[in-house]
Amino acid sequence: MNLAALRSAAQASSVPVEAELVPSITWLIRIRWLAGIGVIGATWSADVILRVALPTLPLYAIGLTLLLYNAAFYAIVRHLARQPARALGPYDLLTKTQIGFDWVAMTALIHFSGGLESPALFYFFFHIIIAAILLSMRATFFYAGMAALLVSAIGVLEYAGYLPHYAVLMSATAGLYRQPLFVLGITFFFISTVFVAAYLASTLSARLRKREAEVVALSKNLLRAYTRLETVYETTAAVNSSLELEQVLDQLVQRTAHALNVRACSIRLLDDTGARLTVAAVYGLSDAYIKKGDLILAHNPLARQVIAGQTVIVNDVTTETRLQYPRQALEEGIRSMLSAPLLGKKGPLGLIRAYSTEANHFTQDDAEFLNAIARQGSIAIENALAYKALGQLDEMKSRFVRTVTHELRSPVSVVRSLLHTLLGGYVGELSAPQREMLQRVQHRADFLQTLIDDLLELAAGKMDVHAQPALEPVSLDEAVRRVVERFQIPAQEKHITLEWHCECPEGPVKIAATNEGIDRILNNLVSNAVKYTPSGGRVAVRMFVREQRATIEICDTGIGIPEDALPHLFEEFYRAPNAKAQVKEGTGLGLAITRDLVTRFGGHISVQSKVGHGTTFTVIFPILIELPV
Amino acid sequence: MANEKILIIDDDDDLVLAMRLPLEAAGYKVFRAMNGVEGLQKVKEVNPDLIILDVMMDSTTEGFQVSLTLRSPDPKSEYQAYSKIPILMLTAIHQTTPLRFGPDQEYLPVDAFIEKPIEPAKLLDQVRKYLKK
Repeated sequence: MNLAALRSAAQASSVPVEAELVPSITWLIRIRWLAGIGVIGATWSADVILRVALPTLPLYAIGLTLLLYNAAFYAIVRHLARQPARALGPYDLLTKTQIGFDWVAMTALIHFSGGLESPALFYFFFHIIIAAILLSMRATFFYAGMAALLVSAIGVLEYAGYLPHYAVLMSATAGLYRQPLFVLGITFFFISTVFVAAYLASTLSARLRKREAEVVALSKNLLRAYTRLETVYETTAAVNSSLELEQVLDQLVQRTAHALNVRACSIRLLDDTGARLTVAAVYGLSDAYIKKGDLILAHNPLARQVIAGQTVIVNDVTTETRLQYPRQALEEGIRSMLSAPLLGKKGPLGLIRAYSTEANHFTQDDAEFLNAIARQGSIAIENALAYKALGQLDEMKSRFVRTVTHELRSPVSVVRSLLHTLLGGYVGELSAPQREMLQRVQHRADFLQTLIDDLLELAAGKMDVHAQPALEPVSLDEAVRRVVERFQIPAQEKHITLEWHCECPEGPVKIAATNEGIDRILNNLVSNAVKYTPSGGRVAVRMFVREQRATIEICDTGIGIPEDALPHLFEEFYRAPNAKAQVKEGTGLGLAITRDLVTRFGGHISVQSKVGHGTTFTVIFPILIELPV
Repeated sequence: MANEKILIIDDDDDLVLAMRLPLEAAGYKVFRAMNGVEGLQKVKEVNPDLIILDVMMDSTTEGFQVSLTLRSPDPKSEYQAYSKIPILMLTAIHQTTPLRFGPDQEYLPVDAFIEKPIEPAKLLDQVRKYLKK
């Protein structure tokens, strides 16, 4: 059974009598057209074909009348259907009126087709059954009584001569209507049959209605269960879509409140001591209520119960003894609460609580539902907590590196200062060997400084995003031009041509970055290209803009990078073996820093290379789309 | 030029040595203070022609505090007489201090920054430049 069918079954009115009334009336009117035509047709065929002596005029009149008042009813129903308010009152009256009219028509028909001898007598049973289907048992019996009365009246009146008799049957049975036994017999059998029929039809109808009501109720329950399940799945998906604890908890409380159709929901988590529960997320509660305080397990029997693993319903806050803050709850407008435990793999994490402004709002069903949500929520919370712990660990590491590196700075700086003074000749004349050795020392000290600077930069890049400088619009083409100019002289000294091409649109190409960061990236890449390209080679820097992306290519005809070195290229302190051979010194941190920066600016960096031929680094950045202010 | 007085306020002995040698070789008279408090005292004592100040000694803002005190706009400040002495501040790159002064600031408590490590030639250049003013 698909969901749509379930929904429509559940939406069916719980009182089928009313629900069936409107289509039934339409159906009745449709049948009556046939009845009217039938009467006229039967009369005509009896008269013309069977050559039976009939009071044709009255019979045709009855048929016509049937059709006429049916047309009237049809018009009334159409008019009522166009009304916006579908009150059932007029429809009910209409049904009873129709049946009443039919009764009169039936009686007239029977009278004019032979009274108690009329074969049309049996048609009364149609009406009994229709009444049993459409109306209540009492109404059915009423109409049965009316039928019995009318028929008996015809029988008696015709017998007594007060009413003319229209004989329809052949001569053999003519005059039966004058036979007391016939009259009594037919009357008795008619009355008894009519009442039995009424009883049977009503009973059947009642049972049918009861079954229908059961189906509707079951469909409603099924639909509710299905909706709840859907909500649990949706909540699980939403809650697991983030590893940020705050987001996870906010999603959880909001969705739970909506799913349970209550005003508020809160999550409290156990603190490190495990003795109190502090608010971690809340939806629908005032600040005053939240600030009332933590739940202290020692003073809060209800919370203790929940943490132990029980789901607890508080039906009425005014009569509940286990609450820690009953007064504040009342002031907030809360009358009932439902609390479920949040249980992690290693023990309880806290509890989730739903608040309603009505007393006795929560059912066992709701409790099971909240439990299901709590179970999913616990998993998500544990994941988020683990992620946070991981993040903190990472942060601690970076902070340590930063501190250490900072501490290293000062002494190195002093060493270099002293060396400068020494080599400047201010501590006396230096011999050539002394000078040479001191220069070696200075060289290493300078390298140490560079290493420390790079390490610091790397550690800074790995720190918490919030500590980073904010991104701003940076002109990429200008930045590239600047760096290329900077390296023109060093390139010329090495007899390398350094070219710059730009397939740039009109105006500056802006990306979201920092000026220092972009300078660092470009400086590193161009410097590497120049460094590792032998004399006579070429370095080309190309930039083009396509589809909201700016691409920069730095191509060189240098020593290239061996294939097995490529996957490690961006690792910290890694230097390819042929690079080490070519240029003795390098920190190995340049590309690691570069990649960190590129990623931070939302870009992507890749490399292609062939040993002995050259290397191409490709950096792509998304263009900053500045919205008009 | 005759023996201008230079006061170095810095707690690092080695750094001071690295500066003192080239400065004395160039003919200047070098005085030294270990920290901000001593520095301000020495200013009054010596009345130097130029001050070299390390940005960070005990605390991250000690250097700036000294210069702020010396250049206090308060007309009743006891350092009024010394507010015109040129101040050169030693910094290391990346040193983040809470006070940043740019060329558009109307009130600059120092006249120039000298980046560590000290290069005697550059140091002497700056000193010469600011003593001339």
